[in-house]
Amino acid sequence: MDIFLVWVDIFRNWLTGGIGIPTLAAEIFIKIILVLIVIIFVLCNLIVLVWLERKFSAFYAMRLGPNRLGPAGFFQLPVDIVKCWGKEDTIPEAVDLPVFKIASICSFITAIMAWAVIPLGKGLVLEDLNIGIFYFIAIGSTGTIAFIMAGFGSNNKYSLLGGMRTAAQMISYEIPMAFSLLGVIMLAGSLNLSDINEAQKNVWFVFPQIIAFLCYFISSIAEPNRGPLDLSEGEQELVAGYFLEYSGIRYALFMVAEYTHLVAVSAIAAIMFLGGWNPLFGLTFIPGFVWMMLKIYFMIFLFMWVRWTFPRVRIESLMHFGWKVLIPVSLLNILLTGVGYYVFQAITG
Amino acid sequence: MYGTGLLKGLSITIRHFFGKKITQQYPEERPVLPKRFRGSFNLIPEKCTACGLCANACPNGIITVESFKDENNKRKLGKYSMNMASCLYCGFCVEACQQEALYNTQEFENAVYFRQDLEKVLYQYQPPEVGVETEKPVAQEDREEGSEA
Repeated sequence: MDIFLVWVDIFRNWLTGGIGIPTLAAEIFIKIILVLIVIIFVLCNLIVLVWLERKFSAFYAMRLGPNRLGPAGFFQLPVDIVKCWGKEDTIPEAVDLPVFKIASICSFITAIMAWAVIPLGKGLVLEDLNIGIFYFIAIGSTGTIAFIMAGFGSNNKYSLLGGMRTAAQMISYEIPMAFSLLGVIMLAGSLNLSDINEAQKNVWFVFPQIIAFLCYFISSIAEPNRGPLDLSEGEQELVAGYFLEYSGIRYALFMVAEYTHLVAVSAIAAIMFLGGWNPLFGLTFIPGFVWMMLKIYFMIFLFMWVRWTFPRVRIESLMHFGWKVLIPVSLLNILLTGVGYYVFQAITG
Repeated sequence: MYGTGLLKGLSITIRHFFGKKITQQYPEERPVLPKRFRGSFNLIPEKCTACGLCANACPNGIITVESFKDENNKRKLGKYSMNMASCLYCGFCVEACQQEALYNTQEFENAVYFRQDLEKVLYQYQPPEVGVETEKPVAQEDREEGSEA
């Protein structure tokens, strides 16, 4: 989809040449517009995602799902959004007001910031950082603080417990997630997401790195707090979890953040393991952007499949699994990758 | 072997995903009810002897049977009404009926908008008008203006 880049170039030339504003100002202006485009893209994904979640959860249970409002119930979410806007923003008296107010915005910002480095096609990236995947992991970790803020600021023991759980879960599952991505980085020899993508021209990394893919898959379910590992928002034991005191649009922002995060981890999985925008079966006439979206949505399908199949696990089982199984396995994968890579080089010379 | 149960679960749900959906689109698709479904009630006034067994059998006492003696000193049914607000749909009244005059219907949409609509009049005797020879009793349809919406 080079057409996007061509448009940006035309726009830049028009700004600097046609109108005659300074180059730096034009660059900043273009960047702001591109950031807005990415945010809008993510939010558009979100609309589709919530609809898909509702439909898929129904399909896995042999139901039809929402089918009244619009074609196949597609307009359910816009109506929900309007409802959320219309709701009163209830803030309890005892909350820590600044922390409480910032927390929901913070969760959304940390979720959307990961999109700065995620490429959706050749050159279709806001900032092609040479440590892109490192940036992604780092930003993913900062998401924890929003949940702690929400739990702490709500001044409610259930919220606090939920926040603590989220923090514990996200921190422990960051580690196997990073380790599982290390195997891919070793094979690709780069931290740049576009370079990693280019390295998968011949073979997708899901095949040599199947253990890493499984580790990444499991930890990326736990990391955005999705079912079956959504321990932070247990209705039965924590009332709701960290967003217990939130209502209206502040509550909606947490949901937005969760789904943004889901798209982000799916995009990273598609880039790191499923060959990104490299076409399947040499079908090069389909643009890379479309391939990328197909792979992202394939990953989302997998996430939803898992979510609506398995029951939730207990918090200590989750922790045990993270520390005692996932981390050793992902470390072993790094060892195997290193040895395998060395042997491969020795054989091929 | 660890994980086989997980795979089994996944295979079941994916079959459900692509399989036939069992949701019944209720207002458009009418449910197929069993033959002996205990829905609302209906009365065949010709069979009813106004014995009052149904009113006795009713645990909540919601059935009122009014009767009168006609010119042949024969007891006839005057008014038969049920207060559906308290009805359990236990079906004792139908069981108690010796003449099989009272029976259950398949109708189950019994919601009404106004409280007075809950008083379900199954039969109301209308005295014969002068000049009209037949005095055929007419079973009244229960009122259900609001229940369609």
